[in-house]
This record gives sequence, structure tokens and C-alpha cells, in this order.
Amino acid sequence: MEIISDMLGVILQKGGKIKPTHLMYKANLSHKQMQGYLDELEKKKLVAKNDNEKESKEKISIQITPIGRQFLYKYSEMKEFEKTFGL
Amino acid sequence: MVRIVLTPDWFMGFDILIEFFSFIVLAIFSFLSIQSYRMNRSKKNFMYVGIGFGLIAFAQLASILAKIFLYYDITVVQQVGSAIIANNVVNSVDIFYHIGFFFYRFLTLAGLYMIYQLHHKKISFENYLLFAYFIVLSAILSREIYYLFHLTAFFILLMIARNYYRIYKENKFANTRILITSFSILAISQLLFIFSSGTLQATANVIELISYALLLFLAIKIRKDGKKKKQDGDNIRYVGRNSAKRRKN
Repeated sequence: MEIISDMLGVILQKGGKIKPTHLMYKANLSHKQMQGYLDELEKKKLVAKNDNEKESKEKISIQITPIGRQFLYKYSEMKEFEKTFGL
Repeated sequence: MVRIVLTPDWFMGFDILIEFFSFIVLAIFSFLSIQSYRMNRSKKNFMYVGIGFGLIAFAQLASILAKIFLYYDITVVQQVGSAIIANNVVNSVDIFYHIGFFFYRFLTLAGLYMIYQLHHKKISFENYLLFAYFIVLSAILSREIYYLFHLTAFFILLMIARNYYRIYKENKFANTRILITSFSILAISQLLFIFSSGTLQATANVIELISYALLLFLAIKIRKDGKKKKQDGDNIRYVGRNSAKRRKN
């Protein structure tokens, strides 16, 4: 879950949209790892691949969805809560 | 049957409002922790905090209902009461007074104990039973010795504050400091309730209100900080710090 929130955080830091290679580098993941996590994120509708740029593989970008933003917000809140209560 | 009401006449009604405010704050904390537990089910402590705050919230609700029936002696009570009088058991309002306040005392102590127990190693089932017995005993005996409940609550609150002080020494987190302050103020209010008479009772209620207001401020701060960190990306622990090291599966 921490890795997923990190990935979403990176996308958000980049204005909600990022190239897969940048995400891989920023999130310290191998290509194989990133693909696995991206599939999971897409399945859960936390991110979406940009449809208009699907044709050209180099131009593919990953975008955080409103559900992804909501998830990240709840995750940060959970972390704050956890730290406050020393859980 | 004798009913002891220590609240001064001029304060009756205000105390219900304070308890309603406390109920809202406690329900918010219960909701926040249950929500966190639903996100991360491996951390059972989230659930225990949620149940702890939830129990105290229900305790406030029980007290509110008991006081409403007691202060305003509304029709429902009179109807129920007349049926009970026919059976020659107890007087009308007494039912709500005793059951309501018993649950208030029992649920408050159980909730506080749950919050206290969080930071301790797992204890045996027998120990839980023993504590449950003492809590029930304290709740029952407080009917005759009213200060017993406040004294017990005071000690548990002191121990909770001490637990969080230990945590604060490690994390130096401002939110934990707020938590310690509000639990300490709540403990002071319980101390005042022990020596309560008239105005002191009202003062204790107001102090209780301050502690719950502080808890509300903390809940808002947790939400606000969570949102801020999301936007700043502060929750990202590894990114950019050690790009050479790849994560291990």
C-alpha cells in the first residue's frame, strides 16, 4: 500500500500526469515491478492511461483519477492518525 | 427511589448540550479510526481505537437520553412509568435514570480502558475478564458512591495521558501533544466532578467541553494536515532520496 501511495504521490507532484519512465525512476521501481503495480492501479481505477496518446508508445502518460486522489488523501489522513496515536 | 442530581438548576440543559457536543467529537474520532482500519486491515489497533471512542460516544448518548427523561419527564416516560408503577417495581423516571446512567458509566470506563490498553502487550483473556468485572463493579457501585466512577475515570485518563507522553517523547509530534493535553484536561474535569457541588459541577462540565473542543481541533488538524501532505507529496518516503536503490519485492 505504501508503494501504491508513493506512486500516486509522484503522479500528483507532477501535476497529476506523468510518463511511465519518469514514474519508474521517481518511485525507485524496476520496469517489471512498475508494470505490476500499474496494472493493479488501473484495475482499481486509481490511475488511467491517457487515451489520446495510446497510439504512440513513447507518448503514453499516466494520469491520476479522482478516485486515486481520494485514496491518497485518505491514506495521508490515516498516516497522520497513526502517528498521532502512536499506533 | 432517590435520584441524585448534582447539576445546578441554572445549568440543566447546558450539560446536555455539552454532552451532545462530546458525542459528535467522539463519533468523529471513531469514524476516522474505523475508516483507517478499513484501509489497512492488518493494523487492528485502528479498530480498537475506533471501538474505544465509539463506546464513549454511546456512553454520552446514554447520559443524554437519561438526562432528557430526568429533566423534562416527557410523556413517553410517564406512559412507561405508569405501566411499571402498576407492577409496583420502581417509579417512572427511575428506569431511565438508572439504566441510562449505568450504561453511561460502564461504556465510558470500558472505552477508556480500551484506549489505555492499546499500547500494552497483549494480555490474557482471564485478565480481560478481571478488568471487565472491575469496570462493571465500579459502574454499579457508582450508583450509591457517585464519585467512584469519576475517580476510576480519573485514574484511567491519567494512565492514558502517561502512555501518550511516552509516545510523544519518541515522536515529538505536535498532534500527540494536543492529545496529551486534551486527555489531561479531561482527567482534571473528572477530579472536579469528584468534589462536585453546584457550581463546581458546572465548572467540571465546562472543562470537559474544553477538552472535547481540543479533540475536535485535533480531528480537523489531522484531516487538514493529511490533505496538505497529499498536495505537497510529503507522504512519499523514498522518492528522490535514494534513487540508486531499487525497491525489493
